[in-house]
Amino acid sequence: MSLIQIRNFCIIAHIDHGKSTLADRLIQRCGAVADREFRDQILDSMELERERGITIKSNTVTLSYQAEDGQDYQLNLIDTPGHVDFSHEVRRSLMSCEGALILVDASQGVEAQTVANLYLAMEYDLALIPVINKIDLPAADVERVREEIDADLGLDPFQAIPVSAKLGEGIDKLLEAVVKELPAPVGDAEAPLSALIFDAQYDPYRGVVVLCRIVEGNISAGQVVRLMHTGKEYEVEEVGLLKLKRVKTAELTAGAVGYVIANIKAVRDITIGDTITAADCPVTEPLPGYKEAKPVVFSSMYPMSTDDYDDLMKALDKLALNDPALTYEKDSSVALGFGFRCGFLGLLHLDVIQERLEREYGLSLLLSAPSVRYRITLEGGEKIEIDNPSEFPDSSDIVQSLEPYIKASIMMPEKYLGVVMELCRERRGEKITFHYLAVGRVELHSDMPLAEVLFDFYDRLKTVTQGYGSFDYELLDYRESKLVKVDILVNAERVDALSQLVNETKARQRALHYCERLADTIPKQQFKIAIQGAIGGQIIARKTINAYRKDVIAKCYGGDITRKRKLLEKQKEGKKRMKMVGSVEIPQAAFVAVLKSDDKSKR
Amino acid sequence: MTNPSDNYSFKGPGLYLHIPFCRHICPYCDFSVTVGSSVAITQFTKCIVREIELQRIPRKFDTLYFGGGTPSALPISKLSHIVESLDANGWLANDRWMQLEANPEDVTKEVLAGWRSVGIRSLSLGVQSLRNDSLDFLGRRHSAEDGCKSVVAAKAAGFKSVSLDLIYGLPGQDADMWREELTAAAKLGVDHISCYQLTIHDETPFGHRRLRGDRIVATDKMQSVLFRVTHETLAELGYDAYEVSNFARAPEHRSRHNLKYWDHTQYLGLGPSAHSFDGRTRWWNEWRLSAWQEAIHNSRLPVMSAECLDDQALILEVLMLGFRTVEGVDFSAMKRRFGIDLLRKNSELVEKLEAESLVVLDGNHVRPTMNGLAVADSLAASFKIEVC
Repeated sequence: MSLIQIRNFCIIAHIDHGKSTLADRLIQRCGAVADREFRDQILDSMELERERGITIKSNTVTLSYQAEDGQDYQLNLIDTPGHVDFSHEVRRSLMSCEGALILVDASQGVEAQTVANLYLAMEYDLALIPVINKIDLPAADVERVREEIDADLGLDPFQAIPVSAKLGEGIDKLLEAVVKELPAPVGDAEAPLSALIFDAQYDPYRGVVVLCRIVEGNISAGQVVRLMHTGKEYEVEEVGLLKLKRVKTAELTAGAVGYVIANIKAVRDITIGDTITAADCPVTEPLPGYKEAKPVVFSSMYPMSTDDYDDLMKALDKLALNDPALTYEKDSSVALGFGFRCGFLGLLHLDVIQERLEREYGLSLLLSAPSVRYRITLEGGEKIEIDNPSEFPDSSDIVQSLEPYIKASIMMPEKYLGVVMELCRERRGEKITFHYLAVGRVELHSDMPLAEVLFDFYDRLKTVTQGYGSFDYELLDYRESKLVKVDILVNAERVDALSQLVNETKARQRALHYCERLADTIPKQQFKIAIQGAIGGQIIARKTINAYRKDVIAKCYGGDITRKRKLLEKQKEGKKRMKMVGSVEIPQAAFVAVLKSDDKSKR
Repeated sequence: MTNPSDNYSFKGPGLYLHIPFCRHICPYCDFSVTVGSSVAITQFTKCIVREIELQRIPRKFDTLYFGGGTPSALPISKLSHIVESLDANGWLANDRWMQLEANPEDVTKEVLAGWRSVGIRSLSLGVQSLRNDSLDFLGRRHSAEDGCKSVVAAKAAGFKSVSLDLIYGLPGQDADMWREELTAAAKLGVDHISCYQLTIHDETPFGHRRLRGDRIVATDKMQSVLFRVTHETLAELGYDAYEVSNFARAPEHRSRHNLKYWDHTQYLGLGPSAHSFDGRTRWWNEWRLSAWQEAIHNSRLPVMSAECLDDQALILEVLMLGFRTVEGVDFSAMKRRFGIDLLRKNSELVEKLEAESLVVLDGNHVRPTMNGLAVADSLAASFKIEVC
């Protein structure tokens, strides 16, 4: 197949505008899967993805399509995740494409993420086709959405294709547009091999399955290839296309998107964004790839039941195989026992890992407050890096402490500029600048401590911009910051798992927030409970949980005492699952709640 | 302290009869009830007499309690037939305390006389509220006036003890409204008042409404306020609390039968869904009227299920039931019965509970205060009871 018959594209959309459903329909229309095998959201393979309706791992599928011109085309559809924590995945997906479908809901119109993703796509010079989805809805207003596509996205409204992914309407027209309007990839099949790794899967029988876009040259079984970043060499066993199942081919040539199996043992052995080249005839420069996905958020995970420690270790081992961004090492807490200190890409990544451990591995977990990694210079010149509050040295030993800063980019309609600037200032943002992207749309940049972003920033941003603000960040550097360790005391007992490191100016506010959250979630008990935030011996925040005053006391007559006792036994059993701190029972929900954002409606 | 003296305490086992019929089913009720025709009632009476014959009980019962459902839905002739069969089988002590639950709309002079002649000494009237709007909400068929009239008539008929039931914790109910009702109830001169907090069970019309998001009960905070109002107001009016929901004008008006449930006295229950306990084993009858009847037709005891309680379960029950009553828990008796000193095991806890004014420690006796009664379940759950 020649290059001009290949199209590499992705679908980008605001959450819930029907991206997965459209992908389903394209797959079905191209006959990549028999109707009887079809299930909804076929690309979202993890249980969690299906349930939450979000895409976490990118999936790729190659479709065969015979166009009206009689030619057979190979359409590579690259599915993209939609959350900021996974933006590295979005970026590498976009880099493998020449075009994108911008999906807009016919009733909701252009939304914040639509715009944010559009700018991302434009960064990579992708050709764009606007698609108006859900035209079957009674509230659909195609003409209004066309106007928005013109005004808000700056795209040709008459190019937009109305479809109903649900009913399959307009799909043929869309496929024709993909063929006609998106450019074919360019690349020289005779040039030395260079291929961009944009994803990897793990197959227990074959090892790592590398997904890549061949930029130049070709790759086939038997060839010895080199991964430019790691310098390691492998002999290629098999190459092929992803047609939901792997379909072996003789070779992959420039422009193609496919898989490579080369006896690579663990996902860790490769780096996403790395360049594959031929060992005997390497290119000199790697493709502009991606920085390694480095964990920036750290939290300790403890099994609710200490018996589950081994299971947690095994589960983390398995997850890390597929998720090189996840790191973990042993940790322990007085209140919670043995666990693991884990590193994540961001809060959603943390959330997803936690849910996968709980759901796929049946574990019940407690997580400590998330933290960033600080650099501290001690008296005597020794430099240490810490992310765990338990390792925080005595403040008198600290000469200097540094915390990681990010460059935050926030895009939003102009009218939210004021509130967003205020939010950034509140979060210790520095060097706040902005510029106009288009009439009415602003992009704001600010240097900010990463720690401020971990704590509830994204939700606050969504709230103040009514969902229209989009947020992205890159790590910048380390800057000086006066750190203190805030302890949380429950009836004067320190709960070590709740200790945290924060900038001095934020200590009181954070301590109060934690106290409030705990006071909201620890059930009233028979005794008054004092919840305090403290730095060293100094109390900086305090909340009290009053003793509760009334049980629901049902009748106890007619002799049915068994039922009542069973309820009480359940209550007693429930207490066993709580963590005792001194004489106070703290439910898991309380630990979870202090990690969650302010947005009470969220959960 | 307030131990009932012997002339009104009945130490023998108690007998409960469940009369599952109602003319109309209340939206909060989750008992075994059905709207019965007269044919069904006749059928039922035959069956209960047969159930009596199926049992081989050597002991004599000194309390007999007709509960339901609506025992007052049972014609006097049927009621008397049941009592006669019990006597014929030698089940009842000569000095027997018989109590019957009745709905106000069933109360007439004739019926009252009938109950007296059968030997009912104590009448418990399902008045539920003395406000018409509350009665409407609760789906009751009688008016506040009917309720009052039934009490007056029952008093006039010469029952030893007349009690009325009230339900509180309705949405929108406040302290003043409730105080007014309690005062009105006391003015009627009843001997005993039961005040039940409205409890919503999932499988009832109220349960379904709650699922849809309707507010069916008062807020938690208001429930707690109303609980206090109940205890304080009734104490002022001369009714002593002897259990979380039960108040008597004098010790002799306490419900002799119900007291047995709370101190682990043996009891036997007849009729669908009735529970029985022999001190170690608890068993319960078929819940559905039809299943209960079918068993009896086949000359089989209509027992649906049973459980044998181990010491741990018994201890939890002693605590759970004990803390519902003003008598509280006698830990010396507990030590004699189970051979463990739970008071010592929980000394730190008891000290704290006392400091919080939830209990009073009196020798080896731990008695809940009013604040303690309000959290009786949690008191029981907080004790360490592992038998090691």
